[in-house]
Amino acid sequence: MLDGYNTLITVAALGAILAYSFHVVLMAGQLSLGQAGFASLAAYTSTLVVPTEPIAGSISPVVVGLPVGALVGAAAAFVVGLPVLRLRGVFLAIATIAFGEMVRVVINNAEWTNGALGMRVEKWVTFDFAWMVVAVLAYLFWRLGPSRSGRAFAAVREDELAAGSMGVDVVRTRMASFIASGAIAGVYGVMFAYFFGRITPATFDFGLTVSGLVTAVLGGYLVFFGPILGSGFLTAVPELQNALGLEAGWIHPFVTGVFLLLVVLFLPGGLSTLFSRLRRAPMRPGPDYAPLDALDPLPDPGTPIAKVRGLAKRYGAVDAVRGVDLEIRSGEVLGVIGPNGAGKTTLVNMLNGLEPPTAGEGQILGVPLGSRPHRFAQAGVSRTFQHSKLFERLTVLDNVLVGTHVVSRSTYLRRLLWLPSARRDERRALALAWAQLERVGLADRAGLRPGALSYGDRRRLEIARALAAHPTLLILDEPAAGMNHVEAAELASLIRGLADDGVTVLFIEHNVKMVLEACTRLVVLDFGEVIAEGEPREVASDPRVVEAYLGTEAAQNDEREEIEHA
Amino acid sequence: MLQQLANGVFAGSIYALFAIGFTLVFGVLRHLNLAHPAVFTAGAFVGIEVAARTAIPVWILFPVVALFGALAGVLVERIAFRPLRGRDDEHFAGLISSVALGGVVIALLQARYGTEPKSFATDYFPSRLFEFAGIRVTSTQLVTLALALVLMLGLAWLVSATPLGRSMRAVAENPTAAKVLGVNVGRVTAGTYALSSALGTVAGALLALNLGQAGRDLGASIELVGFAVIILGGLGSLWGAMAAGVVLGVAEAMTIHLFDSTWKSMVAFALLFAVLVIRPRGLFGHVKVREV
Repeated sequence: MLDGYNTLITVAALGAILAYSFHVVLMAGQLSLGQAGFASLAAYTSTLVVPTEPIAGSISPVVVGLPVGALVGAAAAFVVGLPVLRLRGVFLAIATIAFGEMVRVVINNAEWTNGALGMRVEKWVTFDFAWMVVAVLAYLFWRLGPSRSGRAFAAVREDELAAGSMGVDVVRTRMASFIASGAIAGVYGVMFAYFFGRITPATFDFGLTVSGLVTAVLGGYLVFFGPILGSGFLTAVPELQNALGLEAGWIHPFVTGVFLLLVVLFLPGGLSTLFSRLRRAPMRPGPDYAPLDALDPLPDPGTPIAKVRGLAKRYGAVDAVRGVDLEIRSGEVLGVIGPNGAGKTTLVNMLNGLEPPTAGEGQILGVPLGSRPHRFAQAGVSRTFQHSKLFERLTVLDNVLVGTHVVSRSTYLRRLLWLPSARRDERRALALAWAQLERVGLADRAGLRPGALSYGDRRRLEIARALAAHPTLLILDEPAAGMNHVEAAELASLIRGLADDGVTVLFIEHNVKMVLEACTRLVVLDFGEVIAEGEPREVASDPRVVEAYLGTEAAQNDEREEIEHA
Repeated sequence: MLQQLANGVFAGSIYALFAIGFTLVFGVLRHLNLAHPAVFTAGAFVGIEVAARTAIPVWILFPVVALFGALAGVLVERIAFRPLRGRDDEHFAGLISSVALGGVVIALLQARYGTEPKSFATDYFPSRLFEFAGIRVTSTQLVTLALALVLMLGLAWLVSATPLGRSMRAVAENPTAAKVLGVNVGRVTAGTYALSSALGTVAGALLALNLGQAGRDLGASIELVGFAVIILGGLGSLWGAMAAGVVLGVAEAMTIHLFDSTWKSMVAFALLFAVLVIRPRGLFGHVKVREV
């Protein structure tokens, strides 16, 4: 029955392979469009180096060509990635387009590639073979999705700063997705060559890039079968038009364009949206897991865990932080207060590597200042943000699962082989995440997206995510902002509970009452400098603090009242 | 040599005109409108048709084309971008929806004008040859340069000195704050698209006038050079795009002069790649600081 459509369905398979090379970068949030270049390099290399006759009598050249192509694509992606992966968004897109076009022009002008005329090879790719390759790719992505690496990809896509702060090595993750994309594009190039039997530089032009991107986004890049859906759709639409007796010519591209537009406008997750509504609500793992016992013990109370001297940050002519000395001991709850613009957030950003300091030295849990965020996270620093930075397209549970990144092992390769240990590790991570959701009281909302949560719940979710990393030092940046009195009081008791469990907490807060209730030591910043430090109540009544912190006369009365009440 | 330089400047002024429309939308709204090349192509065809039907002189033809472009721009925004506002994947989706709309526009052009390229009548704007200091220029080239200059200066004036321009700058800086302060963001968005597409269609008609004809791939042929120009100039920077357009035009002309026309596009992309790697904000762009 399918006989008449053999070629067509094989073309759809090739389209899906190309789309997978976009899928893998889109999954990690990278708009990389150099795939035509990688495919071209791979196709030409394989055509030039792989013998044209079956090897050892029976191995078809395409079987040898595929690994060659994948390797060439991956290597090219690595070399190009080194300089261009510092770029993001549109800039990355355009730099990679430029790379693809440069490859095209060079191949077009070189003699060993036979220039614009292109090269011929035997046709070795069959219907079955093409779909086998697609099946392998689909399998690789199916197993990747709910693994630790898959979540790292998603976290980088949703918010790089938060991902880094949760211990995901953002640079490596982006590079990994880029190299994988190069390898798959390489596979596509080789498949193309051995299917059509001819390659020219014009084959791998900007149009190819656009069609790959369109296919990947159309199918949906949040689920593993998106590229197959996208390619199937784009192959089927013209065919359906033929079947309906519509004339070729302008109507075909018109109808395809309109369909594409409708899908993009009305199905935000691509065609896959139609299929993923069936997903079950997440289940709490059985009670036989007690993963919290298996975690490394926290340092004894009183152990120094951080020491920095002369910490400073300068933005142009503005000194955000100047000469701050800070020592943190295990088990304390250190409050940091100060007027707006006093440098509080800049200070904690330097403590977890989000911003490199301009001057100063020291270490936090053995990690020197100025290291990248994931290093601090791996050492046991975890944090929340002033403006919540949740992974908006992941469920509440998955947000917290990303938090377990630093206390779990990579499971992807073991998942490919269905090893039981991978399953165990994943269930352990799940149990850890659930424990934190229950701790902050969000267990009944595990299956929702963060966007559906109230403001206070979003803040709690951030805390749960940070706690899932089993931190030695937990940094909370204005956790009670926007909470009402009841919620703030609950939060203060949660923080005290953490301290009882041995977690060291550093928190920035404007709610003075809450600070005085929760912290054991208080640091006051003003204009980037520490102006007072010590036992909370003493510091709060220090006249310099009152003057600096309360600012103008008018505000003074209100806030003094608040302090006195506390 | 001087002749090549002059040719480069003429080509570059069209690149610049194409690119400022592109970069205007990005600068104000952070949209990368990939339907722009299709609108550019449409401008060329509409210009040719209007010229053939009415025989109006060049200086009336271009305002007519610009008016068509403004309408097209408003439609592009309504169809491909407005429905996506506020969605998580607004940026990716906008790329795809504008590619799709671009495809629809090209299909419609094919429906109306067929698959063959269309030409201006040979006597529509007879090109005369002038010679200054050993450089030969045609009257078409002079019109191109003059029109490009007028439009670019006009746009610069509009953005810096009129109420619409001020609103556009406010939206570019912070759309939410602009809205709170009473700027009609919807109208500014529509206005930005209208201006951008008007510039794009005029650029398309000008290129067609220079080439004598237009095919459906006219926009695709200039699209990538347009990317190069807006990045070299600093994404969102109008003056940068103008300067970079001319720089690229001259660089291409020099490559043809020194090497071979097949290497022409290499210059644009090598330059683009180098600038992105060494100085991502572009030659004339400025840095934006990210906030936590």
